[in-house]
Amino acid sequence: MSSPAECHSDHCITCGDDGVPMQVLKVDDERALALCVDGDGAKSSVEIELVLPVVAGDELLVHAGTALVRLA
Amino acid sequence: MRFVDEFRDPELGRVLATEILAAVEPGRQYKFMEVCGGHTHSIYKYGVDDLLPANVELVHGPGCPVCVIPMGRVDDGIAVAREPNVIFTCFGDMMRIPGSAGSLLDAKAEGADIRMVYSPLDALRIAKQNPDRDVVFFAIGFETTAPSTALTLKRAKAEGVPNFFCMCSHVTIVPPLRALLESPDLRLDGFIGPGHVSTVVGARPFEFIPRDYGKPIVVAGFEPLDILHAIRMILAQLNDGRCEVENQYTRVVPYEGNPRALEVMAEVFELRPHFEWRGLGFISQSGLKLSEAYADFDAERRYSVPGIRVADPKACQCGEVLKGVIKPWECKVFGTACTPERPIGTCMVSSEGACAAYYNFGRFARERELV
Repeated sequence: MSSPAECHSDHCITCGDDGVPMQVLKVDDERALALCVDGDGAKSSVEIELVLPVVAGDELLVHAGTALVRLA
Repeated sequence: MRFVDEFRDPELGRVLATEILAAVEPGRQYKFMEVCGGHTHSIYKYGVDDLLPANVELVHGPGCPVCVIPMGRVDDGIAVAREPNVIFTCFGDMMRIPGSAGSLLDAKAEGADIRMVYSPLDALRIAKQNPDRDVVFFAIGFETTAPSTALTLKRAKAEGVPNFFCMCSHVTIVPPLRALLESPDLRLDGFIGPGHVSTVVGARPFEFIPRDYGKPIVVAGFEPLDILHAIRMILAQLNDGRCEVENQYTRVVPYEGNPRALEVMAEVFELRPHFEWRGLGFISQSGLKLSEAYADFDAERRYSVPGIRVADPKACQCGEVLKGVIKPWECKVFGTACTPERPIGTCMVSSEGACAAYYNFGRFARERELV
């Protein structure tokens, strides 16, 4: 885990209004979670309840671990 | 990457800059506020202000959630973090905000179990892994992060996680904008509206700005071309004699926002009567707390928090920076006593804070202005 001082500018989660475009790799419909990958190849588990239904390949705007909107 | 690279095209940027130059009236001074810290960051990172005519000035708004947290609230967080048996979790930047007697990072160094998380879901995971400890999540942010906290609390309730608590410091974007517009020392010609807050709330909540205050607002994305395009759209409104809410960021922002997110927020949160904002003072109905249905998860009910109002350090001028009254470099301690490594004020902490953004990317521009 990086230290707070290393918080990278494009991916700082404390920003009021900065989201990260991510692509869905795999969907767990039952838990409303999806494994997603960002432009740098970093993978994380994302809440998808606000943008359901989601399928692998969808592009989402993710903020603090939650997808807020579908990009494509 | 799609949705990113095409909005950083330098050729198109030059075209937009030329169009902006053609749209401004010589001799007229224009002041536009970018509401969101994400815009501030992009403007300095990509040198957007260097492409603007000299009579177009960008003023930085209050849309950085870290920057608007008052010192007293940090003290409250530290008090909870020091409770025995607590694992206190928060976003990285929150750890560095100075309270009246040090930051959360200082409290961690002194032995408190404070952990950085990337999302509230991470905090919930820590709670499940540590069933014999209380895990408190320090929730901050505007309507972009509030749905994330709300969904995590719903999940905690559904899964029956009794040791997960939330210290809710979420804020909403409209009340501070109204407070700024009521401020007598601020003259603005238009607003660059917050892009990602609008994915949740939509563009409709900003309609009061043209209606009640006669200022145009254009909701914008965060890439350099988005910001230039939004400025050109505001100028077009001024030149056409129009005054309305426009959406530049249509590839992401639906005009109605995300109704499901608003529904979830309404279930989990309710408005506080008042909430203190750094530099802006108390603003009514501007902060969120947990609703009665989620009272069992409310850290402020489980632990007593001091809740004492702490005045900002005298040297710090974050309030004036947040209101756009002064530029970051006009603050007396900017870049000397107050740096991103040792911040005195909140605006120097987050990468989205106007002072940190200017410190990291804008110092050369200032030197050029001085020549």
